[in-house]
Amino acid sequence: MRRMSFTSMIVVAALAGSMVVGAIRAQEDVKVNHTSLKAGDMAPDFTLLDNKWKQIHLSDYRGKKNVVLAFYVLAFTEG
Amino acid sequence: MAKLEASDAVVFGISIDSPAANNAFAEKIGVTFPLLSDMNRKVLKEYGILKMYNVQKEEYDWAQRTTFVVDKKGVIQSVEEEASAINPNNAVAVCTKLPKK
Repeated sequence: MRRMSFTSMIVVAALAGSMVVGAIRAQEDVKVNHTSLKAGDMAPDFTLLDNKWKQIHLSDYRGKKNVVLAFYVLAFTEG
Repeated sequence: MAKLEASDAVVFGISIDSPAANNAFAEKIGVTFPLLSDMNRKVLKEYGILKMYNVQKEEYDWAQRTTFVVDKKGVIQSVEEEASAINPNNAVAVCTKLPKK
């Protein structure tokens, strides 16, 4: 095998370096805050405005309905 | 949706959008359930699902897509984090199994 030229070593080093930087950056991009809530925990109560500016209290449904809370990222994006 | 209503459940979508944006979104996609506005991210923090997103080198925090099913006693029955669009099938399955009364 031919010895690697100095230039190609630099290229390889730079590639490896950028892969490391890429991996670190990818980690930064996914700062996910996983919920500590789990099945069996009480759902924290909340009061929020709905899309008709009406206040919704989670506690109003206690004893009446099961509630599905679907947290989505942003309106007008894919769910 | 009909399945969820049949299982005695109500559905709320929640995001950090304003009520006005959510209303326009609701009309566009034709949802029949309310979309709630957590503009100050208070509920996202309480539920521990505020996620940092890096967009063009600036950081923004929005919700991690998560679906919670809460029973009539206020107890969480299931927690499901989703990678892509919200899929209601699991929530339907959980609600259907919950006691009717």
